Amino acid sequence: MTKPISSKNLPDEAVSRFKEALGAGNFSTDPVFCDSYAMQPFHKTDPGCWIPRPMAVALPGSTEDVQAVVKICIQYGLRYKAHSTGWGAHGGPGYDNVVQIDLRRMNNIVEWDEKNRYVVVEPYVNCAELQAEAMKRGYNIHIHGAGSVCSPLANATSHCGMGWTGISTSTSSRNILGVEWVLPSGEVLKLGTCGSSGRWFSADGPGPGLRGIMRGWAGADGGLGVFTKMSMKLFHWAGPKETRVGGRLLDLEVEKPDNFRIAVCAFPEAKAYADALLKIGEAEIGFLQCKNPVSLLFSGGMPRLLRKIHAMPNTKKLLDAFRYQFQFMIAATSELDYQYQNQCLNKIVDDHGGILLDTPAALNSITYWSFVRVSVPPVIFRMGGNFFSAFGGDEALDNCMEQARIGEEIKRQFIARNACFDDLADGAWSLIYENGLFGHNEELYAFDHRDPEMGRQLDDFAKACTQATVEHNLGGGGFAFFKGGEVHDLLGPSMSNYHIWQRRIKKALDPDDLSDSKYYISSD
Amino acid sequence: MALEEYRRDMEGCSRCSSCKWVPVSQIKSHRFSQACPSISRYNFHGFAGSGKLMLGLSLLDKRIEMNDSVADLVYKCTLCGACDANCKVYRDDIDIVEVIEEIRAACVENGQFFAEHQMMIDDLKRENNVFGERKEARGDWARGLGLKDANSQKVEVLFHAGCRFSYDEDLLDVIRGAATLILDAGVELGIAGKAESCCGGRAFGMGFRGQAKNFAEDMAGRVKSSGAQVLLTPCADCYGAFQYAYQRMGVDLGVRVMHISEFLGGLAAEGRLLFKNRVDRKITYHDPCHLGRRSEPYSGPWKGNKLLRHSSCKRDGRKGVYDAPREILRSIPGIQLVEMERIREWSWCCGAGGGVWEADEELSEFSARERIEEALASGADALATSCPWCERNLRDAAESMGARMEIFDVTELVTRSVEGE
Repeated sequence: MTKPISSKNLPDEAVSRFKEALGAGNFSTDPVFCDSYAMQPFHKTDPGCWIPRPMAVALPGSTEDVQAVVKICIQYGLRYKAHSTGWGAHGGPGYDNVVQIDLRRMNNIVEWDEKNRYVVVEPYVNCAELQAEAMKRGYNIHIHGAGSVCSPLANATSHCGMGWTGISTSTSSRNILGVEWVLPSGEVLKLGTCGSSGRWFSADGPGPGLRGIMRGWAGADGGLGVFTKMSMKLFHWAGPKETRVGGRLLDLEVEKPDNFRIAVCAFPEAKAYADALLKIGEAEIGFLQCKNPVSLLFSGGMPRLLRKIHAMPNTKKLLDAFRYQFQFMIAATSELDYQYQNQCLNKIVDDHGGILLDTPAALNSITYWSFVRVSVPPVIFRMGGNFFSAFGGDEALDNCMEQARIGEEIKRQFIARNACFDDLADGAWSLIYENGLFGHNEELYAFDHRDPEMGRQLDDFAKACTQATVEHNLGGGGFAFFKGGEVHDLLGPSMSNYHIWQRRIKKALDPDDLSDSKYYISSD
Repeated sequence: MALEEYRRDMEGCSRCSSCKWVPVSQIKSHRFSQACPSISRYNFHGFAGSGKLMLGLSLLDKRIEMNDSVADLVYKCTLCGACDANCKVYRDDIDIVEVIEEIRAACVENGQFFAEHQMMIDDLKRENNVFGERKEARGDWARGLGLKDANSQKVEVLFHAGCRFSYDEDLLDVIRGAATLILDAGVELGIAGKAESCCGGRAFGMGFRGQAKNFAEDMAGRVKSSGAQVLLTPCADCYGAFQYAYQRMGVDLGVRVMHISEFLGGLAAEGRLLFKNRVDRKITYHDPCHLGRRSEPYSGPWKGNKLLRHSSCKRDGRKGVYDAPREILRSIPGIQLVEMERIREWSWCCGAGGGVWEADEELSEFSARERIEEALASGADALATSCPWCERNLRDAAESMGARMEIFDVTELVTRSVEGE
């Protein structure tokens, strides 16, 4: 049983100031209210589901409110941590006595600029809402891999953001065209053209272009102030402006447009898979490319059966034959475009000894709309109740393939000792983006954090993957960064000592370390 | 089952926030994407389904004490089940609604509930209805209709009007019209009149398990003695109680339970109900929570790991009554049915349930006004529903908003089509 928490009391004067700034109904120090921000079992590597309970929760409704909260925190020396939709331990307090800033009242789509192809959003708008509105205008957005229930602003400004359509929409950090940022000093900074002209079409100037400092590769996960608005790219949408949708997920009923093709491309071995992907990138075809492992697809519909896979060796072999497969979607803008993309895809798959399986008509609904809306990700919880993701550095595709190979080796050991569920050790979730310029790979790990032994061994898996990253030069630390400073100190020396620069940035912007840096890096 | 029995459900929450929105595959706009009235109004995470799972776990782990704040979080909730249905798009092993109900039961055990709820329970004890109206007047709505007295005669169909239809004078014509339709179709219909009492569903939802069970057992006895084959109700709230809450309490009615929309649909299919007259309206249909997702039968507690629970044992909202009322509306000449964005198992709640209508007028009105705005956005000039509580709350909201939106019970439209406007 968890011990009762004794939290430091906020000075009455500070409480009064918070309530004056936000309205009494938008600030609470009540332990009952605060404790609902203290449970974050996802991406938490130590056992159990509780994280430190915030000492207070603030619900700002505007940038001015956020500024006021940050300034009050500075005045009273209080740590704070902002989150948007707030999925994962990295969105909550890393320490005791933190003020949790919940941005859910900042829920506006601020501006559409279709001519310059951007949209400006506040933190709590989620990807599904934004995509629905964008499609009405003939556009689409990049949706990151966590899925469309999450905030695009939080992901793009503060986190890693690869997504299923990365081949055509890149990754979240490359979709930012400007931000409004409440710095740890409480000042507001607008990046790029927004800082000079008020128009949000470029994050890199003219005007202050601090995108690298703002988020670097992995994002500061709330460790460098609070982002209150973001402009992001709009992409052409080749589908209809309105889609009639019946059902929710496995029961979806949607008509796939004729100019879309959905297929599974499977290859006999890893090299052919990777070479084909690079060729696809060169050919500049495709709307969506993503390797959702067979186990993930299977667990969405038949999680109970997958848990018995160890007792079905022949079925296991059959599924294993699809280890080197990815899902691919063409969204053509014309008949000629459709023909071109199809012919390229057919030839590339054929040239690499692969097979190309078009989605059966019966599965068109679920594949088409689930993939476009990126509505599947939470399904991975269905297998074990929780999952973890390791590696995740964006690197050249060959490096990503190595991540996948080593990740499988490590995971087999954990499957063997029942520390996680048997997903055929094929947990590699991977894709290319920007036409193959980068690759991405994550080793998914399905477990049940309610099982004490599984919970205990998760940290061992995370450490093993981080250690392998160093030993095998697997590049960016990816999700290892969730461990904060200790991992940066481990990985930094092999990557141009970036951790030293990161600390300098933190020290320059937040010398008192008030913007909770548990999942980023401290200034000392 | 006690709260402790749901520990794994509560610990299992991944905090993905799927409980706050309609299923992402069904999000059609930014404006109407929210699913939960409670978190939409009060914003702190504790008001969301996920937050209530954490609340329950926090109580179990003794991280917090049972106090007014707990009651505030758990009772400022319409218990509409949207969180539960949306969570179950992804999860097999979490029953949010059942957890909320268990927290409420624990609140009652510890004396932590709203004064208005105690008043309702007192009214129930005294007058057998949730309004404290005279129990002798319960069957007055049927005066002169020629319904059988189920207390003294055997009946084929026992008609349970429910508290709202029995006492809300604004809805008197609705309930009389509905009963008349059935009688005119040649069905032998009986009521218990002043012996009818509350179904107990509201008491169950508020956590007053003892009171709820008393009413449920009373109901079961009345049904049995009537000899009815069918228990028919025009009230979605009662229907949900019969289908779900009674099974949770272990009370078996032993008869087929039907909502009036299902029953009228059957009569129409048999040609016993003819929609002769046009009803020229552009109508949108509001799914009552207790006719839809919350009416799914309860198949008993799952023993063991819910990750291994078969989907047929998972109440995910899909097995509610959604098509029967829509089929009736489509059958009425002149009606153009247009759908709102949030429908069926991902429907938005009217705000009248879960004890909120009784104790949190602000949330109740907020939820109803939101629904009226959604109905207006659909282009409809009228809204039809199948629950007197929804009808009451939505009528009041439309009136206070000055909205040009007529509110109907589906049976009213049937009456107009059968008898002429």
